Amino acid sequence: MMNLRPAIVSISLTLPLATSLAQEISQEHLQFFEKNIRPVLIESCYKCHSAESDKVKGGLLLDSRQGAILGGETGDPGVTPGRPHDSSIFTAMTWEDEDMQMPPKQKLPDDVIANFKKWIEMGAPDPRETQVANATGGRREIDMAEGRKHWAFQKPEKSTPPSVKTDGWAKSDIDLFVLNRIEEAGLHPVRDADRPTLIRRIAFDLTGLPPTPDEVRAFVEDKSDEAVKRVIDMYLDSARFGERWGRHWLDVARYGESSGKESNIPYPHAWRYRDYVIDAFNTDKPYDQFLREQIAGDLLTFEDKRDQAEKIVATGFLAIGPKGHNNRDRRQFTADMVDEQIDALSQSMLGLTLACARCHDHKFDPVTQKDYYALAGIFLSSDTLYGTPDQQQNNNPSTLIELDPEAALPAAIAPISASELASLKSQFESTSETAQTMQREALAMRQQGGTQNNVATFLQTRAARDRAAAVEADLQLFNPDGTPRTLAMGVLDKPTPINSPLLVRGDISQPSEIVPRGLVEVLCAEGEPLSIAEGSGRLDLAWFIGSKENPLTARVMANRIWLKLTGQGIVATPDNFGIMGMKPTHPELLDYLAVSFMENNWSIKSLIRQIMLSRTYQMGSTYDATNYAADPDNKLHWRMDQRRLDAEAIRDAMLAVSGTLDPYPVAGSPVARVSEDRRGLAQLLGELAANPGQTRSIYQPIIRDQIPEFLTVFDFPDASLVNGSRDTTNVPSQSLFLLNNPQALKLADAFAQRIGKFQGEPLERLTHAYMLAFSRSPTENELAAIRAFWMRFPETVQTRASKYSAEGKKEAQGLALSAFCQSLFASAEFRLLN
Amino acid sequence: MNTFPFSRREFLRTTSNGFGYLAFAALAGEQALRAAPQPMGPLAPKNPHFEGRAKRVIFLCMQGAPSHVDTFDYKPKLQSDTGKAAPSTAGRYGRANLMASPWEFKQRGKSGLWISELFPNVARHADDLCVINSMATDIPAHPQAFNQLHTGTTQFIRPSLGAWTLYGLGTENQNLPGFVTINPPGNATRTYGSAFLPAIYQGTKIAGGGGRGGALARRFGGNAPTATVADIKNSRYSTAAQREQLDLIQSLNKSRQKLDGGFSPEVEGVIESYELAFRMQTEVPNVMNLDDESASTKKLYGIGDDATDTFGKQCLMARKFAEAGVRFIEITHGNWDQHFNLKTGLENNCGEIDTPISGLLADLKQRDMLKDTLVIWGGEFGRTPHSQGTDGRDHNNKGFTMWMAGGGVKGGMNYGATDDYGYEAVENRMHIHDWHATVLHLLGLNHEKLTFPYAGRDFRLTDVYGSVAKEILA
Repeated sequence: MMNLRPAIVSISLTLPLATSLAQEISQEHLQFFEKNIRPVLIESCYKCHSAESDKVKGGLLLDSRQGAILGGETGDPGVTPGRPHDSSIFTAMTWEDEDMQMPPKQKLPDDVIANFKKWIEMGAPDPRETQVANATGGRREIDMAEGRKHWAFQKPEKSTPPSVKTDGWAKSDIDLFVLNRIEEAGLHPVRDADRPTLIRRIAFDLTGLPPTPDEVRAFVEDKSDEAVKRVIDMYLDSARFGERWGRHWLDVARYGESSGKESNIPYPHAWRYRDYVIDAFNTDKPYDQFLREQIAGDLLTFEDKRDQAEKIVATGFLAIGPKGHNNRDRRQFTADMVDEQIDALSQSMLGLTLACARCHDHKFDPVTQKDYYALAGIFLSSDTLYGTPDQQQNNNPSTLIELDPEAALPAAIAPISASELASLKSQFESTSETAQTMQREALAMRQQGGTQNNVATFLQTRAARDRAAAVEADLQLFNPDGTPRTLAMGVLDKPTPINSPLLVRGDISQPSEIVPRGLVEVLCAEGEPLSIAEGSGRLDLAWFIGSKENPLTARVMANRIWLKLTGQGIVATPDNFGIMGMKPTHPELLDYLAVSFMENNWSIKSLIRQIMLSRTYQMGSTYDATNYAADPDNKLHWRMDQRRLDAEAIRDAMLAVSGTLDPYPVAGSPVARVSEDRRGLAQLLGELAANPGQTRSIYQPIIRDQIPEFLTVFDFPDASLVNGSRDTTNVPSQSLFLLNNPQALKLADAFAQRIGKFQGEPLERLTHAYMLAFSRSPTENELAAIRAFWMRFPETVQTRASKYSAEGKKEAQGLALSAFCQSLFASAEFRLLN
Repeated sequence: MNTFPFSRREFLRTTSNGFGYLAFAALAGEQALRAAPQPMGPLAPKNPHFEGRAKRVIFLCMQGAPSHVDTFDYKPKLQSDTGKAAPSTAGRYGRANLMASPWEFKQRGKSGLWISELFPNVARHADDLCVINSMATDIPAHPQAFNQLHTGTTQFIRPSLGAWTLYGLGTENQNLPGFVTINPPGNATRTYGSAFLPAIYQGTKIAGGGGRGGALARRFGGNAPTATVADIKNSRYSTAAQREQLDLIQSLNKSRQKLDGGFSPEVEGVIESYELAFRMQTEVPNVMNLDDESASTKKLYGIGDDATDTFGKQCLMARKFAEAGVRFIEITHGNWDQHFNLKTGLENNCGEIDTPISGLLADLKQRDMLKDTLVIWGGEFGRTPHSQGTDGRDHNNKGFTMWMAGGGVKGGMNYGATDDYGYEAVENRMHIHDWHATVLHLLGLNHEKLTFPYAGRDFRLTDVYGSVAKEILA
């Protein structure tokens, strides 16, 4: 089973084609360039700004048209055809900006500067072709026709379910596919799960919460054929469903409420995307539509303002990724952001690692570097708006998208009064004045000479500016009447789309041929046009991915759903369907599920229902020695895997069982309220660590690299990476958490109180505790163990003095009850799903 | 209101009397060994395949890939050819210019190893270092290479080096985890995971106080600046009371296992994990408490100095874990990915670890522990001899440096070499598989015999590769 060798992609070595970048240039313009521009560039600029330079200064290359347009590390274009004042080389020539005067030693004559102005105004005609760098390196060429033969790049087709020997076992086509393989291996499926086990499984799988004792009883008593379907539908209809399955999607959408990486700046508006995802699952939004909205919601047609606003929020998918805000090089920052967008999008939606082709053609998959830059152009033609203020730790601030107030979307923060607003305004005025004054003084000091650029002065000035910017950001959260503005992270098209150059080795200082914006070649039928007709191309991309024609989209999601319901994917690498990914264990079943999914209008709920109604899903998780010896990993699904609950389900179940769960969704996020009383993120996280509240775990703030302990201890994934399959470790830190953590003790106390208040005989109370925690009654063995605990524990916690007082006894008994309840939380059964 | 729902009398009346105490005794008997460490348990010390020189490992893991040509791989030709175009044989590197190391190299110790001025203190131990200049790994991308460094594979979920070591040798102190990992990167559970090996062999994470995590933690007030094992102490119950509680939990777990048909690796894992956690509660705080260390020892490790305090404490803790019988100790130090800011970035990093590592080596030596403690330094790959931008170096997986000290390796030697500039290992190339084979060999384990049966075949850390570098064995 293991270690599937990759199929070999046919590779041939060819010399790269020299690519022409020449524009159509009139003879007149050409002469102007050759006479007035090129000689000056060579004479005055090439020493520091060409490939021949010893050291390329500022990342700016002026020996090619591409380099000149792209500009240097500042991120400003060197030349913007038609617009001299948006051309940094022109600004530098004029010596107007005292920080940027070029050439540095001697200003160019005025007539030369005038010539450059004229040249840029005429559209900066430039015949210089860029040599394709790395010309000696030799590039492998991918054979697309060969590449298309990989199983995952061919469209899924529904095949007739195989026949089986065992009559009457299969309840559905799914079962036929599964049973056939079990029989082929000479094995047999284990018996069905008992009723309490089954409803516990269904409830956790659909809602992330245990069934209530009443639900268990009703299900056990319901002997009708429809009983299973009825509970499935009940939980599918519950609003808890979206909170469970939305979180699964947030794992693959690498959802986080801060930038992660070095600066880790909060993203206080990310929660809108989270809520969008929860709603999408609750309303069973067709999956193709769901994906299209996340890629290009801003460009799709809409029914009303609300619909439009929600679709814009969906594009938050592209904006919430981790980012290195402290990067001083804006172009590098943008290139990295685009790379992250391509990475997240391709892994989550396509199960492909397209970002591998940033620096070279994909090492394993038939994806070229050109494919990558064709996609990069799409994202470079879009404005990613993530909304962070200009701070010392943030050299790449951004605005947000203001949504139409008529959309009436919820707000995370309360309105403020006129006086509060006025005070915020005056704070802003005073802080920005302070900042300006300090700036002026620093400047004056500098002009007086001496060790002008004193670091301390710089830091103080910077801090003052940061304060002003932070207050300004707060102020911008409100309308003039004090109501909160409706702001969202997301993506919009730039007015003019651009194509990206292919960057040699992914290096922004080595632009090569321009790649037209386009789609991934291997996923398109041969000869199909890949290019983008108009706009950024996100709309094309959205329809390309959210489409029945795409061989991956439905398969990847069907596999994700199967994985969450059975514990393992048909493809064991859910985020990689490429050549280095695992091959499907049941390819026909995967295709069957994928095609059914599309046939049912991409309904996630329908697919879940279909799987849950299979006998495969309803099997027990019982051990069987013969089967185990042949297939220890249960790849053939001869039983249901015994699965460990994920971190959220464990905590939410503890809250639910102890009767303290606040079941209501939370609008907004604590991160959105950080600015409220200016207490800052540090304090907020401290408070939340001590008291995370009683709402469901999905509403906990997800600050990257600062995930709450109760989530990380049970393997919450890295919020910066796409993750379709969580680890389940079993380490002592989990035991320590459940035994010692103050939150665990507190929840045990609440559970104990609930049992203490329950009316009934002791055994009934005990049974009630068991029903709440495990959805079953205790066995005789367990009763004996509990009784033994009961006889010993209170004595152990009693002190010599308290032994003889009624108060002391009562206290000891209270502790015993709490310790007993905690033991139920701590036992393996609580965290395992059978 | 009496919160106590089951008075003893009521309880005896309503529960099944027929069953009673005998049944419990039977249950309890199954775990009669609970208080004493189980000599036959999965963590009990095991005989190696042959007499190994190293009894334990301290792996100083530099995440992000430190530059070898600026530290331990001296390249005179790179110094003289600085600014020249990188050779076209550099393959994937294409157009770029060579960049001399901004730091001066000197010959150190009797052996005359070349070490740069970035490691003045480590350099004093030159005669104990076995510097492997010919390391190579498959993929020049961090996650894959970091994974391969730890598990041998770039891609699959496989047990880590520490887990294999623990599986092969067990551990000498049953009250401590046999494999601790201090300050591991947040997304790298695989680097201390046990994958298909029993869960008990995975590493125990000690969070806080480290590198980037530490700086962030301080800023956000999250983790304590000193390393901690979370929830190591119960605020409410005495050890005796907690043991009573744990007996109940384990009885319930055993019962669950019975209901599951008598075999459930998941439940078994939980049971073992509780026993280990319980013992750790007593032992871990003792080992991690650095208060009893003398001022001179702390100074030796650079504790108290801003730059070296965090890593110094981690190194001292590593020594204490080693002394207490922990088999495999890993410390991660992050932020070695100098694509730009090489000058300040690398200098700062080295400044943070130089004194602590030197202190660790000296301390182990003075306690006569260096002879059977294998200390390893290195990252997932190295960096290019040419520059990236004006002040950075790119990833280089074809040639880089790691060093080892103690534990049966020859000191004062260079093993293998890269080409004139440091691009590619050209002499005695040591792929990660070979390195794994060699580390296991030093521990007395034959990498071809250390196998675990899984899904129909025997798996190894080295897959089908790996050869032991005999020349470096003392």
